[in-house]
Amino acid sequence: MEQWTRREDERLLTGKGRYVADIHVPGCLDAAFVRSKVAHGSLRGVDCTAARRVPGVVGAWSAADLPDLPPVPHTLLARLSTEEAVAGREWPALVKDRVRYPGEALAVVLGEDRYRAEDGVAEVTAEIDPLPAVVTPAAAVEDSVRLFDGLSNTALRGEAGEPVDPAVWREAAAVVEATYRQQLLMPSPMECRTILAVPEGDRLTVWSGHQMPHRLRRELAALLGWSTDRIRVVVPDTGGAFGSKSAAFPEFVVVAYLAVTLGRPVRWIEDRLESMLVATRGRGQDQTVRLAADADGRLLAYELTIDADVGAYPHLGVGLPMQTAWMAPGVYTTPHVHATLRSVLTNTMVTYPYRGAGRPEAATAIERTMDLLARRLGIDPVELRRRNFVPPDAFPYDTPTGRRYDSGNYAAALDLALETVGYDEWRAEQARRRGDPDALPLGIGVSCYVERSGGEPGGLHEFGSLEVHEDGTVTARCGAAPSGQGHETVFPALVARTLGVPEERVRLVEGDTDEQPEGLGSFASRSAQVAGAMLQHAAQLLIEEARHRAARLWGLPADRAAWADGTVHATSGGPAPLGLADLVKATGPLRVEDRYEAGMAFPFGAHVAVTEVDPDLGTVNVLRLVAVDDCGVVLDPTVVHGQAFGSAVQGIGQALYEGMTFGEDGVPHLASGFLDYLLPTYTEIPPIEIKDTCTPSPTTPLGAKGAGESGCIGTPAAIVNAVADALGTADPGLLQMPLTPDSVWRAAHAPRPEEGVR
Amino acid sequence: MKPASFDYVVPRTVAEAVQALAGPGRTAQVLAGGQSLILEMHLQRIRPRLVVDINRIPELDGMRVDGDGLRVGALVRHAAFERADAVPGPLGTLLSRAVVNIAHPPIRSRGTMAGSFGWAHPASEWCAIGVALDATVEVTGPDGERALPARDYFLGPHRTARRPQELITAVRLPLLGGHTGVGFVEHRRTHFCFAQVAVAAALTVHDGVISDVRIGLVNSADRPVRARAAEQTLLGTEIGPLPTGRRLPDGHPFARAGRVAAQEDAAPVAEPYADAEYKRQAVAVLVGRTLREAATDLGSRLAVRQGDPR
Amino acid sequence: MKITLEVNGTAHTLDVEPRRLLADVLRDDLGLTGTHLGCEHGICGACSVLMDGEAVRACLVLAVQCDGSSLRTVEGLAGPDGEPHPLQRAFSAEHALQCGFCTPGFLMVAAGALEADPDLADKPDAVAGVVGSNICRCTGYEPIRRAITRAAREQREASSTHER
Repeated sequence: MEQWTRREDERLLTGKGRYVADIHVPGCLDAAFVRSKVAHGSLRGVDCTAARRVPGVVGAWSAADLPDLPPVPHTLLARLSTEEAVAGREWPALVKDRVRYPGEALAVVLGEDRYRAEDGVAEVTAEIDPLPAVVTPAAAVEDSVRLFDGLSNTALRGEAGEPVDPAVWREAAAVVEATYRQQLLMPSPMECRTILAVPEGDRLTVWSGHQMPHRLRRELAALLGWSTDRIRVVVPDTGGAFGSKSAAFPEFVVVAYLAVTLGRPVRWIEDRLESMLVATRGRGQDQTVRLAADADGRLLAYELTIDADVGAYPHLGVGLPMQTAWMAPGVYTTPHVHATLRSVLTNTMVTYPYRGAGRPEAATAIERTMDLLARRLGIDPVELRRRNFVPPDAFPYDTPTGRRYDSGNYAAALDLALETVGYDEWRAEQARRRGDPDALPLGIGVSCYVERSGGEPGGLHEFGSLEVHEDGTVTARCGAAPSGQGHETVFPALVARTLGVPEERVRLVEGDTDEQPEGLGSFASRSAQVAGAMLQHAAQLLIEEARHRAARLWGLPADRAAWADGTVHATSGGPAPLGLADLVKATGPLRVEDRYEAGMAFPFGAHVAVTEVDPDLGTVNVLRLVAVDDCGVVLDPTVVHGQAFGSAVQGIGQALYEGMTFGEDGVPHLASGFLDYLLPTYTEIPPIEIKDTCTPSPTTPLGAKGAGESGCIGTPAAIVNAVADALGTADPGLLQMPLTPDSVWRAAHAPRPEEGVR
Repeated sequence: MKPASFDYVVPRTVAEAVQALAGPGRTAQVLAGGQSLILEMHLQRIRPRLVVDINRIPELDGMRVDGDGLRVGALVRHAAFERADAVPGPLGTLLSRAVVNIAHPPIRSRGTMAGSFGWAHPASEWCAIGVALDATVEVTGPDGERALPARDYFLGPHRTARRPQELITAVRLPLLGGHTGVGFVEHRRTHFCFAQVAVAAALTVHDGVISDVRIGLVNSADRPVRARAAEQTLLGTEIGPLPTGRRLPDGHPFARAGRVAAQEDAAPVAEPYADAEYKRQAVAVLVGRTLREAATDLGSRLAVRQGDPR
Repeated sequence: MKITLEVNGTAHTLDVEPRRLLADVLRDDLGLTGTHLGCEHGICGACSVLMDGEAVRACLVLAVQCDGSSLRTVEGLAGPDGEPHPLQRAFSAEHALQCGFCTPGFLMVAAGALEADPDLADKPDAVAGVVGSNICRCTGYEPIRRAITRAAREQREASSTHER
């Protein structure tokens, strides 16, 4: 094993990984969906007759053919949506009478393989009367076109903090205002969504690349009207998720329902073109900000107004903008902060968590605005931030928006980032270039972020167990489900370290609801902070249990049995030490299990980008990116740095490349897949340096905070700020992500009333 | 995303291929490298009834210098042009500078130059070089062989003067002479997308005066464009020393040619993140930069010829 | 249509529909599921395999086109005795994979480049060309670049030791 860094590596590097599409089940049918080409319309009818005659097609159904097909389950998890938002806005698994987003499934075809299923799809005809499509919150919020007759498109209004006294704005030395667009993003894991449903007796086994197997089990059981113990959800290798794989999607409902109804295995392996149309989107906010400061640059008040694009049906994304509202203040001691939001339904696929999920939107808004204020006041943006950081001795710090930050040292992270990037040298280079009309403009952008990890109250716990076998090996089980985070390596190492036994004696089992009956899953950067803490807690329970058992065996009081290096020994003389194997042999099966609740944690950091802009073409060249993250105590630096690097690249993606435009008909221009939606490739990757500071979280015994979302949260604003700095752009509205060459060229040639002021 | 069913034939000769293409009433597609065709079949934007795989026709393989031209057979892959010395003289340099912009190595190892001419995508690098250099597309059909000059060949996006029953057997490009320098500059959003705009240029200078210039515009209209108006502004112009700064002064002939190309030669089609105004800007900038690259290339060629180690 | 493929050194005679993609035939007909489909339009490269020694997108090649060809997939990368390929070791050592879905494609493009050019280690641009051929959404690519460079160095050192 020593030639592999991670336990996962051997199988994944030799082609022996097993993703859902790799699982061969004899007689399995492939599902393919007939998808709406229009964004919004009234469905007159669907005709599947011809499809049913296609060789190799086993069946084809529209909603009219499946009157008992259950709707898509919504979730009210963690206050992220409300009964009111979903009332009267049912999401049918197949369109019944109204198409509300492009690609929405009109019918399903089951074939002996995917080729045949698609042959069937080509023969299905549907009649749709198009309706005007609204694809932005601004267009939808007026309710001139309603997605649900008689109901407003505004599904939820929310706020955090108290309204700011108008006198504060009037009397402040400086007030800056701006509007920002947080564009819709495609999470784009390399493996699209997958489900394989296999009926066996009176049970259903569901294989899915998924982040929350227990939630999927619960939701499928509810929609089938079954008890949860009749469903087993197994998560095999999963090809990335980034937040996008935690629901029971419409296609999942159809597949599970048909598998049970037909008594045959059915699978749906989403392809990339479907994914472009109907995979969940991330971000999608139109923001307006106002920030006031006194003449010394001390922040007085901050106001954030959000119109969020939540897609066609109220789902988890409806409440997601609350995350942005709660995190609005960022790392600063602004006394008055008020965030308000409207979650607006639009004719797009639903918005859903994507790596960062509400926090990038908060961080980008405040960090861009800090640079705007610095420019207005003529203060170096670094200095402005220093004057307003929540100081290290102020923790736990209660924000005006109701968050309690657990711990932090924001200046330390910024200092390390500036030193690493060589801030003063870059400022000198910038000054030199400003004196050279032939030089490309250069800009430096700083972004200091704080985020929340672990989950919201009610979702901060995890379940798990440790079982010792007669040979002394230990099986750890937990409710998490990884998609590349290296749990199989990190968790056994943690358990082994806590117990004082060799790593190879501990093995992890997760992602199987039959093995681990309760669990929450992998989301909100909770691997180390919550699941890790749970396993460490279980290991301590195991130690306690072992000590008590040994003491009883030896006839000693429990406090005379001590644990060290994987064995129990008497504190003075007496019996020979007992290892775990001996203990099981002598006292019977040894198993501990528990539910463990962690606290919310607030990772933070400082990212600095240096960019060079070609004003003639509008291209942005990132020369350097430094990301300093503080996620408390790091369990495995290799894994955490790997996450941070990949996350930073996704942050670059949001800043510069990723985005979609829409046609007049409301259909996104994504028909050529990854030729239209541009992910960063190696060619675009600048030199990136990842460093960390360590401020342990007091809310969890490991001291670990969440890792992995940092780059998506901190990097975009650093890059946008660097471009604005290079161009000296006065109007922040001209620079909206993604900073495509055309938009940067326009910004570079816009009038600059503040010429001369940095 | 699977191709619909089709019939598949593997002719061994051009005659057999032409016969297959001429079959009655069937939409047939020629499969050479397949890197665009099979993609479009996945997307089901193309659903041929018949696919004619020409990969096993030996006479279509290979390229050769033939008089003052280069004849590139229909099966010559993009990758064949990656080395500048694969083709003699400045043409080899031009092709090698262009080819690295075509997708990436695994695509270049399959896709073919002739296939690009057949597919006629407005963003094709090869097609713009073809119109700039007056390439000839050689086709064979039921009525025999035809040589189609590139200037008359491209009719619009994916539309050409080739008849459906005709097979492209080769593309012929003129070799470029000794007093010619070349440049190719591409502008795109990431490494994995088509050019927003790209420019190919070949600049011929005798006694310090521009005697010939060829400028090809990629993705600057609904088809590849030869920027004749821009070329006209340069003919007979003294080339003079190149400016030392990064940016061409606005009054430099190359910058002026760029503006003319943008206004008179280009007919940009708006795309997401590149409207016509932006594309004209990009054409203007890239034409200037490409001409400068060509002039620099010419300078180094002359230096080498004169044994100047610089 | 009847075809013969040599895959990882073993000859297979198959009867396939002309429309079936090489990737699907490898995965479904031959059970070689290490070749992954990430986009099915030739961009991501997760399905890259070696066809007669050259990296190709198995989603942009019809299986019938490969009649008589020799193919190599990730399952055939390790030595006959199961000894990992230098690239496999290097990817693990450099943490060049997270979810692992894109990994077989990167391995095969890199394997093709390494076999074609024993001096790849000295050519950072060529390595960049390899890394720039495929998409990874987890790692940010830099670890993949390091891994390929590391394997190229190892291969060169191993071959120079052999020559001595």
